[in-house]
This record gives sequence, C-alpha cells and structure tokens, in this order.
Amino acid sequence: MKKLALAGLLALGLTGCSSDDPQVLNLYNWSEYMPQEVLTRFEEETGIKVVYTTYDSNEAMYARLKLLDESAAYDLAVPSTYYVSKMRNEGLLLPIDRSKISGFDQLDSELTGLDIDPDNQYSVPYLWGTTGIGVDAADIEGEPVTAWEDLWDERFEGRVNLTNDMREVFHMGLRVLGYSGNSTNPQQIEEAYEKLTELMPSVRTFNSDAPRMPFLEGEADVGMIWNGEAVMGKDSMEALEYVYPEEGVIAWLDSFVIPKNAKNPEAAHKFISFVLQPEIAALISEDIGYATPVLSARDLLGDEVAGDRASYPTPEDMVNAEFQADIGDEALQVYARYWEKLKSGL
Amino acid sequence: MRWLSRSYLALVYLLLYVPISVLVVFSFNNSRTGYSWGGLSLRWYESLFNNHAMVQAMWNSLWLALTAATVSTLIGALTALALHRYRFRGKRMLNGMLFVVMMSPEIVLAISLLGLFLLLGLQLGYVSLLLAHVTFCLPFVVITVMARLAGFDERLPEAARDLGASDFTMTRTVLIPVIMPALMAGWLLGFTLSMDDVVVSTFVSGPSYEILPLRIYSMVRVGLKPEVNALGTLLLVFSLVMLMVSQWILSRSKQ
Amino acid sequence: MMLSIKQQPFRAAVLVLVWGWLLFLVLAPNMLVVGASVMTRDPSTFIALPLNLDAYRQLFNPLYLEVFLHSLYMAAMTTLICLLVGYPFAWALSRVEKRRQMLLIFLLIVPFWTNSLVRTYALKLILATNGLLNSALMSLGVIDEPAQLLYTEGAVIVGLVYLLLPFMILPLYSVFEDLRQDVLLASHDLGAGRLATFKNVIVPLTLPGVLAGVMLVLLPAMGLFFVPDILGGSRNLLVGNVIKNQFLDARNWPFGAAASIVLTLTMALLMFAHRLSKRRLGEEGA
Repeated sequence: MKKLALAGLLALGLTGCSSDDPQVLNLYNWSEYMPQEVLTRFEEETGIKVVYTTYDSNEAMYARLKLLDESAAYDLAVPSTYYVSKMRNEGLLLPIDRSKISGFDQLDSELTGLDIDPDNQYSVPYLWGTTGIGVDAADIEGEPVTAWEDLWDERFEGRVNLTNDMREVFHMGLRVLGYSGNSTNPQQIEEAYEKLTELMPSVRTFNSDAPRMPFLEGEADVGMIWNGEAVMGKDSMEALEYVYPEEGVIAWLDSFVIPKNAKNPEAAHKFISFVLQPEIAALISEDIGYATPVLSARDLLGDEVAGDRASYPTPEDMVNAEFQADIGDEALQVYARYWEKLKSGL
Repeated sequence: MRWLSRSYLALVYLLLYVPISVLVVFSFNNSRTGYSWGGLSLRWYESLFNNHAMVQAMWNSLWLALTAATVSTLIGALTALALHRYRFRGKRMLNGMLFVVMMSPEIVLAISLLGLFLLLGLQLGYVSLLLAHVTFCLPFVVITVMARLAGFDERLPEAARDLGASDFTMTRTVLIPVIMPALMAGWLLGFTLSMDDVVVSTFVSGPSYEILPLRIYSMVRVGLKPEVNALGTLLLVFSLVMLMVSQWILSRSKQ
Repeated sequence: MMLSIKQQPFRAAVLVLVWGWLLFLVLAPNMLVVGASVMTRDPSTFIALPLNLDAYRQLFNPLYLEVFLHSLYMAAMTTLICLLVGYPFAWALSRVEKRRQMLLIFLLIVPFWTNSLVRTYALKLILATNGLLNSALMSLGVIDEPAQLLYTEGAVIVGLVYLLLPFMILPLYSVFEDLRQDVLLASHDLGAGRLATFKNVIVPLTLPGVLAGVMLVLLPAMGLFFVPDILGGSRNLLVGNVIKNQFLDARNWPFGAAASIVLTLTMALLMFAHRLSKRRLGEEGA
C-alpha cells in the first residue's frame, strides 16, 4: 500500500510539467517540414505548447485521422491538394474562420481559390514545391541525367531512390509514357504499372521520411526527390543536384486544415496566422527549401535562396510541369491496387 | 577443444557488442555527419536535453512502464497464485489464454487490442497504452511467479490454515514474502518490455501521450541524427543500472 | 494441497479480476480479429457485413503469397543463422564453470535490454556505404569499392538475427544445462563415437530446446516491421509490414486480420510440433 502511495506521489511529480499548461496545439505534419525554430518561437510568443507528430504520406495521415476521428486527437494537419478535396468532401474538416487569421491576403493568388477548395473555406496554403530528379553528380558517369526516363537506365541498377508516394511514383510512370500524371484512365494506369515494374530492380530505397538521406548515405545515386530535400541535402553534400525532368516536373501544394473534432481550433487559427507572417514564412522557406506562397515573404528572402532554382524555379523549369490535381476516390482505388502490387512484387 | 569453444564464445560476444560500442563512441562524436570522427563532444547530449518533446516523451515512457509493470505484477502474481492454489473450472482455458498472449506475434496482439479499443470508443492515449502493456507483460510475470511457487514447501500455508488464518491473511503473510524475488524479477521484466515496446505502441497510442520508442522511431526513420546515439547510450546505461539493481536485490533476498 | 473450500471473498475477488482481465483483453480481442477477417472492408467504419472469405481469397492471391513466402524465407534464414550460431554457443556456455556462467548470461542479456530501435539504428552505422564495416574492409584491402550492404535483404536478416539471437540461445542453454554428463558418458561407454553420440543422443535430447528457440525466433522475425523500415529501405517487407500497412495506411482491416490469423496459425503449427517432440522425448526417456 505504501508503495502505491509513493508511486502515486511520484506520478504527480512526473506528470506535473504538462498538467499545469492548459493550452496545447496538436500539429500533425510531414516529417522534415517545419523548422524547430518556428515551433519554439510560437511557444514563446503565445504560451501554447506544440505537440508535434509526423507522417510520411497522405495515406498514413488520412488513415490516422480517420482512426482517431472520435477522439479528437489533432488540431492541424497538412494534406496535399487532392487530399484536401477528399477530406472536404467527406466532411472531415472544420471550416477555417478567415476573421481569425491574418495574412491571408498576402498569399499568391495563383495558389488560392483552387478547385480543390474554392474560397479556401477549409484550407490555407502552407508551402508549394516540386518533385524532380535528385542526382549525386559525383558518383555517376556518362550522360547527364535529364529526364525521368533516364532512371530506367541499366547503369543505375540498384542505385535508385523513389519517394514512398503512390501518386508521385505513378505520375512519373504516366509521364514517361506521355500520359497525364493526373490520369483517371485505368488502361493508362495499368500501362504505367507495367513500366514501373521494369524499374523495380533498380530501386534501392523507397523513402518519404527524408528522401535526401539515401543520397547523403551514399546508397542511392539518382532518383525522385522533393526540391526542399534537395536544397537541404546540398548543405551536407555539394554534389547533390536537383534536375527538372524533360517530361515535366511534378508540382504540388500542401495546405493547413483543421480536423472536424479538433480540441483546440483557437490555437490552430493562431498557428496559421503565425506562419503566414512574412518574417516567419521567409524563415521557413530558407530553412527547409520549399517555396512559400506568402508574396511579401519572398521579398525578405536572401539572394541565395530566392535565386535557388530548386526552391524557386524559372518559367523554363516549369514548362512541362504538371500540378497534382484531385482525381476522385474511384481513380484513387485503382492507383492503390496497382501500388500495392508494385510494392509487393519484390 | 576447450580453447576452441572459449574463443567461439568470445567471438560471438564481440559481435554482439560491436554495434552497442559504436553507438556509445559515436555519441561523443563532434562531427555532424555520422561517419567521420570530429573529436570528443557532449553536444548531442545537450541538444537532447534541450528538446522538450523528447524529455516529455521520456517521462511519459517511464511513467507508463512504471505503472504497467506494477499493475501487471499485481495481476500476474494473483493469477499465478490462483492457478497454483485454487481449484476451479476452466483452468486449462486460463492457461491457454496466457499462452496465447505470450506466443502471439506482437503485431497480432497489437491489432486485436486496437480493434477492441475502437469498438469501445476508447480514446487512444495513456489508458489504451496501459491496458495493452499490462496485457503483454502478464504472462511473463505469471511464469516467473509460478516457477517460484513450484519449488515451494506447501506445509507452510497448510500450517497457517490450520492455525485459523483466512485465505487473505495467509496469502499476505506467507505466500507474498516467498514469491517476492519472483515479483521483483517479473516487475523488472515488465518494465523493460514496456520501455522497449514499438510494435504494440505503434497501434494503440495517440498523440495525447507521446512515448519514447515512437519518438525514436520517427527520428531513426529520418536517419543520421547523432542525437539518437546519445539517447541510445543513455538508455543503455539506464538498463545496465536497472539490471544491476535487480541482481543485487535478488542476491540480497536469497539470504 | 489445493484449497477447494470456497474461501470467499478474497478468492472470488482474485478469480474475477484474473478472468475478467483475460477474457476482456485476450479472448475478446482475438475473437474480434477472427471476426474482422471474415467481414467486408468499409471506408468509414473499417469493417462491415456481409460476411465473406474475400480477405482470405485476397491473401492467397499469388502476389501476396509471394510476399508471405519471401517474408517466411527471410524469417527462416534468420532462424537458421540464429540456430547455427546459437547451438554451439549454448553448448559452450553450458560447459563453462558455474560461477562464470551467471556473469556470461548477464553479458548476453545486456544488449537485449538496450532499446531495439537504437540497436537497429547502430547496425545502419556499421553497414552503410561509408559506414564502419566498409571502411574497415577497404582499409584492410579486402575490397576496393564499398559493398552495398545496407538496404538489402541481407541487411534485414542481419538486423533480425541481431535482435533475436538471445531468444534462440536461452532455451538452448536451458536444455544443454539439463543434458546430464552421465548420459553422454554412458553413450561413450557403450562404444558410440563422437558423431554418433551427437546424432543419436545430443540432438534428440536438445530438440525441444531447438524447437522452442525456433518458435521464439521465427514468428517475431516475420512481425518486426521496423527492421525493414530502417535497414531495408522500405523494401524487403515482412508480413508484419503488410499487416501494418493494411491497418494503418490502406485501411483494409479484413485483409490485415486475415494475414494475422495466418500468422497465428503458423505459430500454432510450430507449437504443436514442439509439443510432439517433447512427448516423444518423454516416451524415449533420458
């Protein structure tokens, strides 16, 4: 009995740190997608503690949100465009109160009012970026890599990295065949699947936690990589280059959404406002290499960052680029089936 | 022949300890990229302790392990006692269920509990973790205690009963002291299993109660974070201390 | 010596607690899994009626069967390596002086008490292209270029062996301990050579230990999903990865449940084999 009492006192002491802080923000985000400094400054300025957990794919995020639907676990999540519309259509999101956030008018109008969420009732853009080819220039020989098709080259057998992302991998497969990356045609998707199976022996890693790692670790020489990852990777490895493929780079947008049962939507709104501040938005873009949608922030960027083609591509880079669009649930199912087949066929 | 077997033992031990030694050595490595040596430094330990989320997760894990070990030892001891002393119907079924828990692959245990918690609408967090951890620790405690009870003189409780003691009193004054070493061993085992668990916790945890293994998992997945080495070293030292304490207690209690 | 007299309320309370916990947290969940495996997948509630065997049918689809077999292969290799390394180890350990044995077992368990994730991560430092093993081999002149060790099937197996070796060694050590010296001497006296003794005496007597070790290694080797995640580059997936993906990503619960049932049945099979071996041992006597 005495031991239990002692344990009880110990418990109070141990959990004491968190119990007297009433304001908590549960932020669910992609890994390597938010500088620690931003979280720290937010905590200091508002006194709200941020509980930060990460995911490596939209599917994982969506599944977890659905799993914890009733228990109201998360206050903010950061899905890609097509998941914003999916979640919106399924009634999983809380409308965002525009009056509670500041800085919305600073956003690039090309990235607001999109079909996925007209009027941005449920989402606020966070970062946009591209998925292109990462090349370890020091370790490859022969012709330079300029197109997705090059990844199928025999010289790269066992040295290719792919992002662990269903839509992106198939997007690449479809583009190589000349189809749209947003295709909903089952025939085309199947052809892409066949093409991708040919690539499988070359694939060393599937990595969406931090796609720059296989390159930095010297395990992969070419492959798919997100532009921000390439920028961050270049800091540690000079030879890491970001190439815009000839067939067209994949472009995407990630936005903040508030799950319907969020416990602390107030804090969520505050966080969005905080991140939309030009100073903070610039900090984020500089730190993790992705492009900020906040126009006034772009003026604050240092020359090196603003001129980095990986983060801020020129119109030439984007000539064949294709933005990830919503393709509907039915098409997603088709993709999912072939993706499972692809991943299982080892 | 002797020399051969001794050197074989030494070789295997060496192989077992190389990764751990690497971990410890590199935790003091000043270089950011894991593979080259940059001189001695404590910076990773510093960065670890400045990481609030990490520290919180550490406390959460410790508390969870503490409570899970205690509850499972309690229930496990009572289970062992019941199996050993009482006659009741369905004993084989009880044994069977314990066996199932122990032998089931962790992942099967994990999904079965997830399903149960969802069905009950139980919020995933500390409570779900506690229930899950107690459940998988249980069989180990039972086995440990039963082993102790097996080699134990039955005349003592008999004598106590003859002297008029109630079941409860007899249990408390005679049996508990006897099985105490087994209780401690079981508690320690439960504590370790809980602190280390990744598989079950992945399924039944929620963001409201962050635990260490899951934090480590996301860190390790991103890779090349030297803080992991420091954390690993700390956990190793912690386990060593726990092990030595347990050995000491066990050797003391044998007197 | 059993107390069959109903000594309420303590006994009653204990039985209620024990039965309650096990029924609620062991029987019911497992029944749920069996039930889920025969239901249909549903996007919002995860499982729904009607009942059917679709999930099992999907499981025996050649593609998933291939994954299962590949996972079984990796687990079998892991078990085999553990056996080959652990059998002589356990024998050698049991021959050491009693006093030292305790210390050696302690040393064996210490790595096991370190967090398994961190240990797996440490292997990454060793197996990487610019990691320790390659650096060592290159500086010794054994190889010219770094070998691709990480993110391969071999890396996953090494990881599994490293984590599960103690589970093979401990039951083996236990049976070797029981192996009485006089039995070996008797065999020798009866004229059997070393090899014959090994084949006809030692192997059958240690078989229960071998099977126990196999049970304790094979099943977890199929379920430790974090090993392929860390050392396999998310390739070379185990059944555990498939189950995890089905539950947490693809949200195909009936399929995940069916895969778990199959895994459990594999375990039951092994247990049965173990029990058979013990029974046979009992008959032949030692």
